Formats: sequence, C-alpha cells, structure tokens
Amino acid sequence: MIARILRGSAGAAGALALAVGTLGVATGPAAAAPQPMGQCTTRSGAVLAVDFSDWGGPIMRSCGTTPTTGYELLNQGGWRTTGTGHDGPAFICRIGYSGYKGGKQFPTAGQDDCVLTPPATAYWSYWHADPGANTWQYSQLGAMLYKPKPGSVDLWIFGGTNIEGTKGRPTISPNQLRAHNSRPTGGSRPRTPDGTKTAKPLPPGTDTGPAPERPVTERPAPKPKRDKDKPKRKPKAKSSPSPSKKPSASPSTSPGTGAKAAPRPSTKVVDAAPAADAAHDPGSWAPAVLTGALVLFVGGAGVYAARRRRRAE
Amino acid sequence: MPPRTAAARTSVGGPLPSGALTGADERRLPRTLHPLAWWIWALALATAVSRTNNPLLLFLVLAVLGYVIGMRRTEAPWARGFKYYLYLALSVVAIRVVFRAIFASGVTPHDHFLFSLPHIPTPDWYAGIQLGGPVSLEALLSAAVDGLRLACMLCCVGAANTLANPKRALRILPGALYELGVAVTVSISVAPQLVQSVQRVHRARRLRAGRTKGLRALRGIVVPVLEDALERSLRLAAAMDSRGYGRAGRATKTSRRLTGALMLLGMCGLCAGAYGLLDASTPKFLGLPALAVGALLCVAGLRLGGRRITRTAYRPDPWRFEEWAVAACGVLSATLLFTNVGFDAAELNPSIYPLSWPTLPLVPTAAILLAGAAGFLAPPPLPVKRPEKAAK
Repeated sequence: MIARILRGSAGAAGALALAVGTLGVATGPAAAAPQPMGQCTTRSGAVLAVDFSDWGGPIMRSCGTTPTTGYELLNQGGWRTTGTGHDGPAFICRIGYSGYKGGKQFPTAGQDDCVLTPPATAYWSYWHADPGANTWQYSQLGAMLYKPKPGSVDLWIFGGTNIEGTKGRPTISPNQLRAHNSRPTGGSRPRTPDGTKTAKPLPPGTDTGPAPERPVTERPAPKPKRDKDKPKRKPKAKSSPSPSKKPSASPSTSPGTGAKAAPRPSTKVVDAAPAADAAHDPGSWAPAVLTGALVLFVGGAGVYAARRRRRAE
Repeated sequence: MPPRTAAARTSVGGPLPSGALTGADERRLPRTLHPLAWWIWALALATAVSRTNNPLLLFLVLAVLGYVIGMRRTEAPWARGFKYYLYLALSVVAIRVVFRAIFASGVTPHDHFLFSLPHIPTPDWYAGIQLGGPVSLEALLSAAVDGLRLACMLCCVGAANTLANPKRALRILPGALYELGVAVTVSISVAPQLVQSVQRVHRARRLRAGRTKGLRALRGIVVPVLEDALERSLRLAAAMDSRGYGRAGRATKTSRRLTGALMLLGMCGLCAGAYGLLDASTPKFLGLPALAVGALLCVAGLRLGGRRITRTAYRPDPWRFEEWAVAACGVLSATLLFTNVGFDAAELNPSIYPLSWPTLPLVPTAAILLAGAAGFLAPPPLPVKRPEKAAK
C-alpha cells in the first residue's frame, strides 16, 4: 500500500519535476570535489577538520573546492555521515572516514543508536572560522544550509557543547588547522583520489604551530615549494568574494615558529587525503521475503478464524 | 465453581452452536477476558514497537494484531472499529511522507533522486526551513518507516479498544477518577451510536423514496441525527441522575480539597521527575526522587478520593490463568525487545542512509510472535445469539 502511494506520488510528481526541473537543478548540489590538502590555500578551498579524539584518534583534516555546503564537504573523498531516523541526513549523528579504522563511523551504534536526536551532552557540534579569523563560531546553520567561504575552516567536535556554543568549545585554534600556503601545492590532478602524496606539504609538526591572537606582520606564502605547478588555481582565488581584504586579514601564523604550544598537544592533526568511499553492503532481500510470507501466514490465520466463526453463527 | 458455569449458561443462551468455535476452542468455556489484561497486552506491544524502526518487525506486529483481533473479537459495537484505526494509521503514514517531501531535508549526492518539487526560496534569516526542492527515495522511505512505527502504536491502542469492553474497563479505574471514567465511557460510546443513528435515518429515507445522496440529502440526514443525539444525551443524563451518578457521597469539603491538593502536587512531582530523568543536565534530586514522591502523593490522593465511592460487587470480572497468560505474553515480548539479549540493537534500526535491506533478527521476531499467542491463550468470545442479530 505504501509502495503504491509512493509510486503514485512519484508518477504525479514526474511531470511536475519536468516543469520545474530548472529550479530544482539551480538549487541542487553544487559541483564540489575533494582535494588533497595542499590544494587548499588561504584564499581558496575550504578546510574540513573532524576531531576523533573522543575515540583516541587524531584530528583529521582535508580540503574541498568551495562552491559547496558543509554537508557536501563532509561527504566527499571518503568521508561519510549518518543522520538520525528522526531528523533525516541533515542532522549529523555519525561521521566516518574510509581511511580511519576502515571507514567506521563514530559514535558507534552502541554509543548512540541515531534514531532520535542525540542528547546535548554528546553530539557532533559544528564550528566555523572565517578566512583569516582565529576564533571559532558555533554554526547557526545546519550542515546542509551553511556554505563555507573560500579559505575558511570547518570543524566538527564531539562532546557536550551547549546550544549557545559557550561551553564545550574546541580546544584547538583555527590557525592550527587552516591552510597557510597562498598557492596550491602538490599534485596537479586534484580529482584523482590517489593524489595522496600531496598530503605531505603540511606535516603535523609544522601546522600545529602557535596561534597568536594579535595580527602578525604579513608574511605571505610561507611554503611556496613545488611551485612548478601551473598557476591554474590563480583565477579561482581571484574569484573569491573580496580578494583584497581576505589575504590581509589572514595572519598566516608563520608555521615555522612553533614555540607556543598547542592547547591540546596530545591530539595530532593528520591530513586525510581524498579516498574512495568505504564499501557498503546493501544486504540481502531474503529476510524481507521471509517476513512477507510470515505476515501472510499470520494474517491469513486471523482472517480464516474470523470467517469461520462468522459462518458458523 | 458454580457461579461461573451459571453465568456462562445464561449469557450463551442454551447449548453452543456446533462448529462455532475452532478446534480446541470448542472444549473451552467462552467468556470475556478481563479488560485490563487486553490493555496490558496492547500497551506492552506498543512499548515494544516504540523500540524498533525495522519495517519487517513493524509489519509483523500489524499481522499479529490482525490475527488476535480475528480470533478474539466480539460482536459488540466497539469491536468493529479496528478498520478505522487502520485508516487512521494509513493517513498517518501518508501525512508523514508528504510532509517530508514538502519540507525537504535535502538530497545528498549518494541518494537516489526521485523527483523535484518547486523550490520556494526563503530569506537568509529564515534558512532553517526549506520548502520544496529535490526529493530522494531515502527521505521518503525514512518518513514512511517513521510513520509506520507511529501507525503500529496507534493500531495497538485500537486493538485494545476493539478487544476490551470499555464499560467493564470503567470498573477498574480508581474510585477518585470515576467522574473522568464516566465521561470517557460516554464519549467512547458516542461514535458507534452515531454510526447506528446515521444508518437508521438513511434506511428510513430510502424506505420513503427520499434522496440518499447529494448535498440536500445530507441536510435531511444530519438534522435528524443531531436531534437523535441530543435526545439520547438527555435520556442518558436523566438515567444517570436517577441512578445517583454525580453525587458527592459522604465526602466533606476538606477531604475533597485535600484530595485535589494531593493529586495536583503528585502530578507536578511526576512531571518534574519525568523531566529530570530525560534531561541529563538537571539536578539529581529532580529525577527519581521527585518521581517517587509524585507517585506517592498521587496514590495517596487516589486512595483518599476513592473512599467516597462505593462500588457494587455484582458480577465481578475474574482474573484467572488466561488473564495472566495474555498479559504476560505482551509484557514478555516488550521485555525481550528492551533487554537486547541475543541480537544486535542495530538490527532494530536498519540504516536508510545508505539504503540497505532490513534484517529479520530472530529474538525480536520470536518476541512479537509470542505476543500473538494471546490469540489462542485468551478464552473464545461469547457467541452472539441469533435472534438478537436478526432484530438489529
């Protein structure tokens, strides 16, 4: 019955979809792609960081092209999320990366069954840092609605953040996570998932550097190495909303001077290269058929009993 | 046990019609089960349903409900209502699916795109709600499964209403709540009586070759039905008044006030306790202690209020082995689903993102089928006498 309703509505909406197809496409997902970490610069690309320290893991960091949503950034290049049964996929209940523990998603099914909205004491909270800013903002929008700016950082931490975002703030600073190169470094073919060698330009030791609150004197392009790369990323950087303001605002935090310690030195920052999605097994249809037979049998027995009684009376 | 046999004989009205009951039922004495047993069974099953999102288990619950109702339904007016609960359940699922399609929760690149509704752009400050847009198979399926769970719980309550006699159920209400119980019983019996009234007026119009369809006929039917309802309520009021309903009994003003205060405080305690239990950030004393104090106050209030009501001991509802068996079936099935023994809790909530076939875990399946055992554990219902049926 439900299937019939679904099919009926799908058919009816088919014509409608044709009529308004352009509208749907216009608002559809933007063409975003995962990138090796080196492709993110201070002015282009959005950095995604996910804190797995609750399960003894590192903070994983990756990069994506910018016309994107927070959700897409978190669902490309091997990253996958799970929503809740109650709120749909837009509520991020679990996050997994295919290169970390075989794509296992956290929190695990034992910790949270992701049927209802998770409690405010243990959930993934979403933080942004605008290009150049060194403070985290608790996201006022859901992952599907928020559109990261080029050069910004998105962070997901797990724990008990209150709804105002005043308690349970991230312990790492945006400057420890963001890209500090002003030009893309590394592989020229960013879309290939095996461009893992480009994850190297910012080894953990370098970028968990200090996080000065005061604006440091401008020192752009701390790592212009491997610049043989064609400057095909240039035009993209220029197309960012306000190219004149953003670079000056970004302090670039001189990664070489790692004197001041990070707030939580135990948590490593690891670059997560674009990877293939973790394999998904859709399972077998046999239980569904078995249940169908069982339902027919039990229901049929009830109908038979009722009918026999009525005939006898 | 002589009274039991005598009661059965009089209500059956002579020997049982042969073949009226199936197989083993022929050897058993027909009687109505204690309404509380049916309610325990149905509410336990509803609790079990609330635990799972697995469509296979949910369909199985519906089948089990259908089986038990088919086996043990009486011919009373309230016993014919299950069909309407099914319609209600279907509309719940439909509303859920339509709402999920309109208030789109977004399509991800991994989803199966179905169709696209016209997207109504909302301003930035109102970005929390999206109207229209692409709709995926996953979104509709998750809405349907979520709706199906609610529908199943509705059907469980519907089954209890179908199987248990609401008028007998009034007896088990605590004395203090008896005004409430009277109101509930009167309102429960309204719907079947309205249906009967409509049918009667409809038949009368047909006999007089009047219109039975269309808008003008509607007026001709609605007015007599309303009149009928008014007359009946006046008759009912007079009958209840003459039987002494609504009198205050021997209760004094202070005892009534004390009862009210106790109940109100108790309810506040229960609310605070439930809130404290569900919200982890509240202080500790608001949880279990508040709940316990609230429950205690409520029980005291009910006890005190119940003292002014004297009840007849005429025709008591017995609580025998069958009642224990039916209630235990339901409670055991809910317990099995909540203990997580012998199966993975994830199997109760199969993933929809990404889409995968639900599995049929063995223990929950057995638990739900066990609840279906109520269909033959309960005594067979009293058969209807022929002449009564002809007179209807």
